[in-house]
Amino acid sequence: MIHQVFNHMKQLAAMHAIVLFVFCTGTSLAAEREPFGSTYQARVSKPLVFVNANIYPGSGEEIRSGFVAIADGQVVGLGTMAEFSESEKFADSMQVDAEQRWLTPGIIDVHSHIGDYPSPAIASTRDGNEATSPNTARVWAEHSVWPQDPQFALALAGGITTLQILPGSANLFGGRGVTLKNVPARTVQEMKFPGAPHSLKMACGENPKRVYGTQGKSPSTRMGNVAGYRTAWAEASDYRRKVNAAKEDPSKSPPDRDLTAETLIGVLEGEIIVHNHCYRADEMAIMIDVAREFGYRIGTFHHAVESYKVADILATEDICSAMWADWWGSKLELFDGVQQNIALVHKAGACAVVHSDSALGIQRLNQEAAKARTAAIRMGMDIAPGAAIQWLTQNAAKSLGIADRTGTLAPGMAADLVLWSEDPLSVYALADQVYIDGYKYYDRSDVSRQPVSDFDLQQTVGGKR
Amino acid sequence: MSLASYAVQVVAIRFAILTAALLTALTGMADVLITNVTVHTPNQDVPLQKSSVLVRGDKIVRVGLAENVAAESGIEVVDGGGMVLTSSLFAAYSQLGLNEIDLEAATVDSRVDENGPGPAFDIRRAFNPASVVVSVNLVEGVTHAMVAPNPGPDPLAGTGAVFNLSNGQELPDSSAMFGVVSSTIAPMVGGSRAEVLGRLYRGFAGLSGFRLRNYNPGSGEYSRIDMQALKNFKGNNRPLVVEAHRVLEIGRLLDMAEEFSLSLVILGGTEAWQIADRLAYAGVPVILDPLENRPLTFERLGARLDNAALLHAAGVRIALIVSDNHNARLMRQYAGNAVAHGLPWSAALDAITHTPAEIFGLDKQMGQVVEGAPANLVLWSGDPLQLSTWATRVMVDGEWIDLSSRQTRLFERYRDLSDKTRPFGYR
Repeated sequence: MIHQVFNHMKQLAAMHAIVLFVFCTGTSLAAEREPFGSTYQARVSKPLVFVNANIYPGSGEEIRSGFVAIADGQVVGLGTMAEFSESEKFADSMQVDAEQRWLTPGIIDVHSHIGDYPSPAIASTRDGNEATSPNTARVWAEHSVWPQDPQFALALAGGITTLQILPGSANLFGGRGVTLKNVPARTVQEMKFPGAPHSLKMACGENPKRVYGTQGKSPSTRMGNVAGYRTAWAEASDYRRKVNAAKEDPSKSPPDRDLTAETLIGVLEGEIIVHNHCYRADEMAIMIDVAREFGYRIGTFHHAVESYKVADILATEDICSAMWADWWGSKLELFDGVQQNIALVHKAGACAVVHSDSALGIQRLNQEAAKARTAAIRMGMDIAPGAAIQWLTQNAAKSLGIADRTGTLAPGMAADLVLWSEDPLSVYALADQVYIDGYKYYDRSDVSRQPVSDFDLQQTVGGKR
Repeated sequence: MSLASYAVQVVAIRFAILTAALLTALTGMADVLITNVTVHTPNQDVPLQKSSVLVRGDKIVRVGLAENVAAESGIEVVDGGGMVLTSSLFAAYSQLGLNEIDLEAATVDSRVDENGPGPAFDIRRAFNPASVVVSVNLVEGVTHAMVAPNPGPDPLAGTGAVFNLSNGQELPDSSAMFGVVSSTIAPMVGGSRAEVLGRLYRGFAGLSGFRLRNYNPGSGEYSRIDMQALKNFKGNNRPLVVEAHRVLEIGRLLDMAEEFSLSLVILGGTEAWQIADRLAYAGVPVILDPLENRPLTFERLGARLDNAALLHAAGVRIALIVSDNHNARLMRQYAGNAVAHGLPWSAALDAITHTPAEIFGLDKQMGQVVEGAPANLVLWSGDPLQLSTWATRVMVDGEWIDLSSRQTRLFERYRDLSDKTRPFGYR
């Protein structure tokens, strides 16, 4: 089967037109344009067809010896080589012989602090957590992103094409996260993934109660944490009622703008996705009930070291778990980590995502997936290689609310893809080429296609890391 | 079978097992013949295919083609099924058994604050072989570890030693002194890296003519117990392992090692590749995390993924480590990454098995699968540096160890959530 190009151009254009006027929903101060809106522009690229490639399309399966055709920044066809030979369709495209190397969608990391916690990690660059109040839902991680962080380029060399930058986890409400395309840029707006939903970082457990408890403030306990969430949601709900009342009755004046409430209302309206740092199974169950009480949805539990204990509940609730393959033990709430966590979540039919939360881990997220799969196979569980790739691509895109644009190789999807030197589940595999919207942003064998941040200029030997 | 005869049989079997266990306990270990394995060992160009390894007591006594290693009657024979046999893994730097949960101060013994000593600090009394962190790594093939102090109030952090993670014993003559020369420690001595080095220079220079009863330290000088510890360390000629990252500090440390005849080892060594020839000439090894390519501080601007490969190519002995103490078990993945960035495969295996033992002056054959070497072995399901493999059996000093850990127990407890026959707390 050769997938035909559907009328995706129109669909995509429509999607891109839906920009979030989140803060308009919470206030009468209607804005003309989205604040801090994306100015990302896809670069012009020539049509290409990768032939003789092994393909993990990102949706769980695999194609041995196949082709992927891209044009105008999108995937326009894929299938087996036999299907390619029968077709004249891509005759005009330049061919790249993959020589049985592997293609995957661009890798997506749903949990990164690159740009907010850059290298060098010094006081002047430490901008990742406004840990001055338990509720800082008013802050936006994108306002801290330093586009010259050399770690963006390191992630690119690991095949990362899309990443979500989240605020830190010292607060009950840490603030808004932002989804970026991993392109070298002068401004964060030039990196912002057009149309990607905003996110809200929340945190369970030890971090908030430790950070504020040691200052003699609330929360200092887990029950204090939950009281903090509920109080904030109750206040935001009240605020929303006042805003709506003013809309319906012009004689009533709207409340003063409240940036904190605007973020929370964005969640209640279903426009902002909740990304909830939460390790312990019992705390996840509490958070699910908090969400139910106030009428919002939790998109993804992050770190989710104990998801395996409640994978059935997570499947029923349709909540993703963003997990590591084997990190554990630095805090008591990470003490019950098992290497089969990801596989058990997957097998329960819940949405399993591999994340990094690390500027080292993000450079080899494919290896995390491979290890998680091996841990399962070792215990007699059956996980297809393509499923492991799905944890880094389609499921990650779902977690970020962009699965209709990236995360899988299918006609009409963005031409975000990685050509690997060998099966990306191998420890020896390296990303040879990385494409974002069809443009080759990285080529291992061509230094002119390896970005060097301003910071690294003249500070490294040939920019090599 | 009648119930009575069944009971007799059960008793007989139990007795046999007990007898075997008793014999094992009396003789130390049972002898084992491992057949049908591919043996990888450092300093060997080609792996030995279809080989057998005979273990007697706690030593490897024969390694060779199957036909050359005869089975003796009554000996335990383990069919390796064509799997890969290597020496077990050795963490060249860790806080295993010292730190259970990093953020719970009451479970952390690896460091002292400004109320504690400098070089006189000795972690050996705190090593806890019952640690969950120890067993989680042991069952993945990490059988030995240098257990070291973290930086404290002084550029010299104190003494560590190599421990057998299976029986909890310290290996004889395995201690080392640890230190750090970087901007992270500078605030403890006034703020300058010049003073970090200055303190070390004054300490070692002061050793000549040092007499405890005449020693009355002034400000900025080592206390009496610290000076005595330094003297003992120097007298035993044990390795001095110093964390340093910038090429400048690594060079200064090489100068100092030469001046005071110290057996220097560099830890971290982010920019060590820039001074690889000098390190090789001086015979100074480097213990490094091969994944660390971030310019994490201004001392690490030269960080790059081929550090291990460049050092090895220049003739520097390297050991590869995982910076996350809870996951020393990942050292084989880290070694695999070093291979992907240019390190020869056999050198990578060497760097997580034999070289660590060599750096700390242990049994010359430790970490190799050769006749006469300690029988510390792992049978891998395939290429041990690959992500698709695992340790199927682990032997320490000639004995197979139990491969269950708290993590495997947790997995078994929750692997089937649909099974409602018994509450989870009883599984």
